[in-house]
Amino acid sequence: MSFKLLTTTAALALSAALVAPAAAQETYKVGMAAGLTGYAATVDRAWRDGVEVAIGVLNAKGGIAGKKIELIVEDNKSEPQEAVTVYRKMISSDKVNVFVSGCVSAGNFAAAPLIVRAETPMVLCSILPQQPDHVKWAFTTIPPPRFEVETRLEYIQKKTQIKKIGVLHDPSPYANAQKAAAEKEAKDYGLEIVGVEQYKTDDADLSVQIQKMYAAGARAILKIGLGGTTLTAAKNIKQLGLDMIMLTSLEDIAVFRPVAEVLGDKFFFVASPAQVYDALPDSALKKEIGTFLEPWRAKYKDRDPNWAGRGWDAMTLVAAAVAKAKSTDGTKLRDALETMDGFQGTTGIYHFAPNNHQGITENPLLLATIINGKVQVVK
Amino acid sequence: MTAAVEPSRILSVEGLSARYGHVEALHPVDLHVEAGELVAVLGPNGAGKSTLMRALMGLVPTQGSVAFHGHAVPRRNPAKAAAMGLVLVPEGRGIFAPMTVAENLELGAYLLNDKQEFARRHDRVMTLFPRLKERLAQTAGSLSGGEQQMLAVGRALMSDPKLLLLDEPSLGLAPRVIEEILQTLGELNRAGLPIILVEQKAPLVLTLARRAYIMSVGSIAAEIDPRQVKSHDELAHFYLG
Amino acid sequence: MMNSLTSIWAEARSNPLLLVLWLAVAALAAYVFVNGGYLMAVLQFACIYVVFVAGLNLFMGFTGQVSFGHNAFAAISGYTSAVLTATYGWDPVPAAVLGIGGALACALIVGYPVLRLRGHYLAMATLAIGLIAYEVAVQWDSVTQGYMGISGIAPLGVGRWTITSDRGILIFLIVVALLSLLMVRGIRRSRLGRSFVAVAGSEDAARALGIDVARTKLLAFLISAGYAAVAGSLFVHAVGFVSPEVFGLHMVVLAFTMLYVGGIGTIVGPVFGAVIVALLPETFRGFKEYQDLAYGAALVLILIYTPRGLVSLPDLWRRRKAAQKTDVQQTSARQGGAA
Repeated sequence: MSFKLLTTTAALALSAALVAPAAAQETYKVGMAAGLTGYAATVDRAWRDGVEVAIGVLNAKGGIAGKKIELIVEDNKSEPQEAVTVYRKMISSDKVNVFVSGCVSAGNFAAAPLIVRAETPMVLCSILPQQPDHVKWAFTTIPPPRFEVETRLEYIQKKTQIKKIGVLHDPSPYANAQKAAAEKEAKDYGLEIVGVEQYKTDDADLSVQIQKMYAAGARAILKIGLGGTTLTAAKNIKQLGLDMIMLTSLEDIAVFRPVAEVLGDKFFFVASPAQVYDALPDSALKKEIGTFLEPWRAKYKDRDPNWAGRGWDAMTLVAAAVAKAKSTDGTKLRDALETMDGFQGTTGIYHFAPNNHQGITENPLLLATIINGKVQVVK
Repeated sequence: MTAAVEPSRILSVEGLSARYGHVEALHPVDLHVEAGELVAVLGPNGAGKSTLMRALMGLVPTQGSVAFHGHAVPRRNPAKAAAMGLVLVPEGRGIFAPMTVAENLELGAYLLNDKQEFARRHDRVMTLFPRLKERLAQTAGSLSGGEQQMLAVGRALMSDPKLLLLDEPSLGLAPRVIEEILQTLGELNRAGLPIILVEQKAPLVLTLARRAYIMSVGSIAAEIDPRQVKSHDELAHFYLG
Repeated sequence: MMNSLTSIWAEARSNPLLLVLWLAVAALAAYVFVNGGYLMAVLQFACIYVVFVAGLNLFMGFTGQVSFGHNAFAAISGYTSAVLTATYGWDPVPAAVLGIGGALACALIVGYPVLRLRGHYLAMATLAIGLIAYEVAVQWDSVTQGYMGISGIAPLGVGRWTITSDRGILIFLIVVALLSLLMVRGIRRSRLGRSFVAVAGSEDAARALGIDVARTKLLAFLISAGYAAVAGSLFVHAVGFVSPEVFGLHMVVLAFTMLYVGGIGTIVGPVFGAVIVALLPETFRGFKEYQDLAYGAALVLILIYTPRGLVSLPDLWRRRKAAQKTDVQQTSARQGGAA
């Protein structure tokens, strides 16, 4: 019994003795709230690894403003409440200079008032907050959701005879934004949306939704959303023997390989330039992607570079902005980020401006397919 | 004996049966209690004694009629039965272990709003069971078995019963403790409280009871006058049917 | 109020280890209050959870029922608060009052049929309520904005007088948490509270005493739903943002952990449960990827060694002392026999 009591008291004492913040050093501190666990894990782990690769390269060149870069990553567990806690921790305990945070939009939104008060800018993988005063301190590397839609609509218009399409999406904010864009723009491409169906990310069967859209005349499906449902949709289309093509939104290419085996040439996907590096013509873009892919492939081999590439962009953007501001001060960095017009990243060219915190303004996305196991850009 | 209700008859039960699901655990029984009587219900384990008590209170679905002081006791409404003055001390005592003795007693007077009356009843219980007085602040679960039974009876008395139903108060208690409790019950009865006392161990109650019903496999097998029972052998005869 | 405070003090004096626990919590609050930092946020969440768990305790601990769906009531009031202040510019107080009223109305409507169920069936039905609330928050886009969530929710306050500083919010939440505990204590010591515990003990015995069991369960459900609703509104006004995940299953898991770690069915258990469960992950933050592992292990340890929650520590202590005493007596008796 005394041992039990001792252990319990020890456990209590341990929880009371809080881990003290690390002693302050002369480093440039980059904070990251990312969903390392939870629904955002795949994307945010890739984002983190991309940021880490960029920091490795930058530190080898002397860091930022003569200081070594120190990355503090905290898991927000893909939960807004957890995000508030870890943002506070990084603001008050770690005193980070800047945030490069992951794709958990709700978490970044919930913490937005905090970063405004702390006057610390954040460069995100997620969409921007809704409040104008929050947007002031937030920048995103994400292309506008409509680009993913436009790439696909353009292909259908120019390369196929299809006039009627269906939209199949999950309820995430990014998917909803794409859905809205599709509904708004389809007619500009001479297309009619005959069905919009929603699914849940853990749905095991989508044949009802697909059949409904097919019956309404849809011969192409815009599939919007991440994860295993893409393969589910492909299998359903094949089982039902439907004559239709599927065009999916951006995703890790590893997810697409089994899909291509099911649907073959009826399957297309939106790809970022980094994903189809080998098929790109020589350009400033290809050069920047090459700079990133060299250390990336050295460390991670064939792993998909899409989200990691954005993480790389976020970090190199911060480095460039600090250099331009000639200061590590948060407000000055924020002001400098607003002037990063024409910055070449791996995703495309960023055109930040005071009234535009979403840097990618020209559609850099491509449509690709997998034939005989090889990724090919559709001309 | 005539069917007419005699003025001294406080409880009359006609054709009362009870079932759990599809099983009829109590076959239609008739019984009655006269004013000031202590009636024993005897019988072996599983004879339906507890079911009869639960049926009287309306704790189980029943058929037949129960009249108390000339008014029908509603079925499936034990709260109403309690309000009419039928109070059951269930098998296993039914005290609330996590609550203090005082709280258990207060729950006995759940339906009472009169503070003076509450104090009067409380004093009476304290006089009857001085040992409870020392334990008022203790949780009921920490009491000994005998004390718990006292508490169960005390709590029943807090609701000022007009007829007290006791289901095997001797269960799991030492003989000395049983004697003490039965003595108190005898006192209560002599003071005018009618009691139905369920017991498996017949000899314990035969000195107290004026009449006894013998139950066997879900029905009343006989009604006896304990004073007429000459030997245990004779009693065993009833048990075995 | 004064009365309860003095009786709390009397209780604490008779129970030194419990006093130590209280002092530890108070010292922690004072430390965080003075030093600030992000632990302020951790403690703020803990206070909100004290309210939520105190209510759940009333339903589960005192009344002996089970609910996996109280997050629904937090969601209803939380979203009402959020939508009315952020979208329609209401004041927080009327918005929260309406939200809590709405949550209570829903609790009344679902409670009536659901509370006829018991055990696993009650658990499943309440779980469904929580899941439905979450789905509605996700799907009812035009009002809740789905996973996007709602930001720009008014801070706590009345009219022009608002609480925006971290310290102010913490103080306010501590006061609310303490008030809700005192209320639970008041309820537990009332006739209503006794009828809750009686229903938990034995429904038949309670019925035989004249207690209307169905009504008692419904009241316990309503009061605990009210607590959940208060917690929901507090959360959105304190953080200024809401999205469906805030009131997801995560909330239920957290609340259950706090309830069992602190001590289910006790009055102060929710305080220790909420504070410890909120702080433990922070203690292990230095463990990086192993943080969750260490947190889980610590929880298991606590539950093994204090199976009836942290507030049962003093009992363990007393029993240990009693055991020592009998040991000594036995030893001396044996020695006496030998001599």
